Amino acid sequence: MAYSDKVVDHYNNPRNVGTLDKSSEEVGTGLVGAPECGDVMRLQIRVNPETQVIEEAKFKTFGCGSAIASSSLATEWVKGKTVSEALEIKNTDIVKELALPPVKIHCSVLAEDAIRAAIGDWKKKNGVAETEAVAAH
Amino acid sequence: MNCTSCQKPMQGSLLVCAACGAVQGDGAAAIDYFQALGVERKFGLNAGDLEREFHRLSRRLHPDRFVRATAEEQQNSLRATALLNDAWRTLRDPVERVEYLLKIEGHAVGEEHAGKGKSAERQPPPDLLEEVFELNMQLEELRMSQKMGETAEASVVADLTAAATRFEAMLQTVDERLAVEGAKWDSGESRAQAASRMIELLDRRRYVRNLVRDVRETLKTAA
Ligand code: FES
Ligand SMILES: [Zn+2]
Repeated sequence: MAYSDKVVDHYNNPRNVGTLDKSSEEVGTGLVGAPECGDVMRLQIRVNPETQVIEEAKFKTFGCGSAIASSSLATEWVKGKTVSEALEIKNTDIVKELALPPVKIHCSVLAEDAIRAAIGDWKKKNGVAETEAVAAH
Repeated sequence: MNCTSCQKPMQGSLLVCAACGAVQGDGAAAIDYFQALGVERKFGLNAGDLEREFHRLSRRLHPDRFVRATAEEQQNSLRATALLNDAWRTLRDPVERVEYLLKIEGHAVGEEHAGKGKSAERQPPPDLLEEVFELNMQLEELRMSQKMGETAEASVVADLTAAATRFEAMLQTVDERLAVEGAKWDSGESRAQAASRMIELLDRRRYVRNLVRDVRETLKTAA
């Protein structure tokens, strides 16, 4: 399958690969899988408790090139955003940016799921109510 | 459906008329794999019967038998043979058969249900996910040290081998449960419930299958 230039770029130079301290209060961890293919992805964020801005994001993906590119892009996009802004990122935005073909849509869904799961984990740790985050999906 | 040549009702495989031997034309494109092999649309098929039927039909449809036939008949035989081969490759494998049957019964399977439903509902049990992720981390480390020409630590190899064995057993359990749900579906009772259980099992199976595959592959080069 032909990957777009952007996918190839993220694949060859993935941004923000790595691990954040899972036990930190400021860190939210999202571990998700794509049932369509069995690939797995972990995305972590570190949130500034005062401003609710995501200051750091890391990922580790065991999956296809599109999943790696999607999660790499997702970490770039969430950085600098507040938690509620980050929740507005949709998998369709990722599809557009990376020009993913229909069979690779689920790879972008995986990245969106990972963002939501990471934010959900952070909210739970910090006692922030899960409100629109759940309803909007 | 009637034979396009002798007009008698078709019996068995819809690819070739049992009465007059005519390979069916264009219309055959719309038939499913079960109809191609002339077997009932169900999960529990007898492997031996299926294979016998496939070989019998293969001989019957073989293009070599049509070298002196009309161009149309040759065309039909080529098309029917291709379809028969696809049908056989899919139905002979119990897991692929499940996916295929669910699909033609109108269920969204695998790729088709991408992004549908709440993400939480699509997720496997968290323990399984954690374990798969952790084992992938170990695998990556092992591959890395292999690349650097280091010999893998015996304990890591032992851990991964044990994990592969455990996951293979898991795979077997999933397959057994698929067979049980398939039999329920075949019997005609609570089909919807059996189908959704099978879809869930298939979803989980992919993680387990990948892991077994990747561990076995990596360990082969470590040995
Ligand atoms: S193929 Fe499944 S995540 Fe890309
Ligand atoms: Zn006939």
